[in-house]
Amino acid sequence: MTLQDAAPGTPSSDGDWLRVHPASPFVRGWVALAAVGYFFGRETFERMLQGRDLIDPNLNGRAPLLLFGGIALLLLTVAGFILSWYFTRYQVAGGYVRVNTGFLFRQQRQARLDRVQAIDIVQPLLARIFGLAELKFEVADASESAVRLAYLRLDDAKQLRATILARASGAVTGPDIAPAPEAPEYPVLSVPPQRLVGSLILSEQSVFILLGAVASVVLSTLTENRAFFLYLIPAALGLAATYWSSFNKGYNFTAAISPDGIRLRYGLLDTQAQTLPPNRIQALRVVQPPLWRMFGWYRMQVNVAGYGLVGNGAEAGSRTTLLPVGSKSDVMRMLSLVLPDPGTDQPERVFTAGLDGLDSDGGFVTTPRRARFLAPLGWRRNGFAATGTALLLRSGRWWHQLVVVPHQRTQSMALEQGPLARLFRVADLVLHTTAGPVSPRLIQADEQEALQLFDAQAARAREARKRQTSEQWLAQVAPTPVVEPVETEPVETPDLDKLDHQTYPKQEDRHHG
Amino acid sequence: MRTEAIDPPGIEWRRVSPKYVTVRLVEWALGNLLTVGVLSVPLILVQLGWWRWPPLWLAISVPAAMLVLALWRLVLIPRQVRAIGYAERDDDLLIRRGIFFQRTMVVPYGRMQYVDVSVGPVERGLGLCTLKLHTASAGTNAQLPGLPAAEGARLREQLSARGEARLAGL
Repeated sequence: MTLQDAAPGTPSSDGDWLRVHPASPFVRGWVALAAVGYFFGRETFERMLQGRDLIDPNLNGRAPLLLFGGIALLLLTVAGFILSWYFTRYQVAGGYVRVNTGFLFRQQRQARLDRVQAIDIVQPLLARIFGLAELKFEVADASESAVRLAYLRLDDAKQLRATILARASGAVTGPDIAPAPEAPEYPVLSVPPQRLVGSLILSEQSVFILLGAVASVVLSTLTENRAFFLYLIPAALGLAATYWSSFNKGYNFTAAISPDGIRLRYGLLDTQAQTLPPNRIQALRVVQPPLWRMFGWYRMQVNVAGYGLVGNGAEAGSRTTLLPVGSKSDVMRMLSLVLPDPGTDQPERVFTAGLDGLDSDGGFVTTPRRARFLAPLGWRRNGFAATGTALLLRSGRWWHQLVVVPHQRTQSMALEQGPLARLFRVADLVLHTTAGPVSPRLIQADEQEALQLFDAQAARAREARKRQTSEQWLAQVAPTPVVEPVETEPVETPDLDKLDHQTYPKQEDRHHG
Repeated sequence: MRTEAIDPPGIEWRRVSPKYVTVRLVEWALGNLLTVGVLSVPLILVQLGWWRWPPLWLAISVPAAMLVLALWRLVLIPRQVRAIGYAERDDDLLIRRGIFFQRTMVVPYGRMQYVDVSVGPVERGLGLCTLKLHTASAGTNAQLPGLPAAEGARLREQLSARGEARLAGL
């Protein structure tokens, strides 16, 4: 095949060009087919309901023409599907994944395996019925969107994920395409459905709905206008859809740890399994809306390169959620996975102070008292603490928020000061991170403190970056004095075993021991 | 230029070319004079007696307020240009800007993904260029406008070389 030579300098022996599952265009394009069916079926159906002839009598003469047109359209669609399937091919070879698509406008995407940021297996309902899955991965090499392979058989998708992760981690190198074994995984936590429902009922959204409902009842009694409620029907439908989508996305949420990274699984009808390799989380935040405080619930969100760029709000929202709702011990467990080395002797105390603390407990430095007029409620909470491995930014008296940025993930930083802040001698420190729900900002810190932190943080980030030398995370975690450690080691799992025995039980001890 | 409170101490700021004031003046003229001109149209029409609606005081005060604002911005331009500064440190580049709303930014060389140099028509006439640094974060809005072309080229080469040496992943 000539395409095999498309990439220069890579051995062509490994990795054949493979095709996705033949049924995939139909699974993906069922909307188009359904639309065609809908347009032809609706008229007939309406007529049936109205008890008229099934076919418009005016159309009698043109019926064959219409039929012919319909069939032609159908055939064209199917032909398009087949062509798109035929021209979609992928290959895993030489440290790259390549995906070719399109037959009129050809497109070749190639992604470096050691730049894989996250890898998802997505199963929309229809695909799930057919046992198919979409493999989607984010790559940090300036490409604007994820690389998608839709659809593969679920087992193949899992296999490919294991292969990609094994190669990305550096556990497997060399030309042979021997399928990597799936890394073992250990369940960490799951979110029971009743808690999810509770969290939805107690969400900020519900408060607004309640307020809106009260307002509309008051308005309608005042104006004695019953028709008013009619206008609320679309709004109610929209709200129901949002609740449903949150429920559908958050249902059966489970997190597990494997040497490949953190595995997140969730979904009622459409299921999704995300894998976040270690060290790929750019920033993280834990939030607690006021109503959730009754039950001590928290939500965790992350920035992962590529995730934030997804246009679709709901999809991006669910993918960047590390924990939809969880207790404090759940939060601590997830934190220990994300940040295996908290960089402090008393992680429990520091992070608890970050979640709920005030003033200087846990070593936090807050807004100086003189600036309390700038933030009458928040000044005792707005603050920062730096551990050996991450910077913790705390804010919000009502909406508790804790942002954690690992030192080696800091991209750039800026100190900002407006005229009012200058009057009170405070300044904001903004950490820049990849696009996502988390935007780390230290609010109204003392000028001198901020300046010191600015310098210290630059130095810490520099140090952390120096320690992190390779994109292949296994090479970082278990460095060996050999020049090319991964090449000389057997291509089996002792390394993986060593890794998870090293990290996993230790983290468990740290917060529960 | 005096050191502001949020500037790290002991930094020798390098300033952008004073000629950049001209670029900003042209931008100012294009933006503000046009706005004031458009806002003055009702005044003219009212004066000519073609329009009735906007009362005279409104027709005068809106463009007048705009004009005052525009003049205020005009007065600030030279100071704003003087407030832009940059400093190359061993491992990172510092960029500062602003008088009222100040910002001091640090971009580590190892975090730069690429460096852009762009030249607009007015800048070209004055031999200036704009340097833009890109990191993986969209929040890094690191621009250095008004650099002399030679300095811009030097800085680009320098930054690329340093970035290469200290390149880190994400």
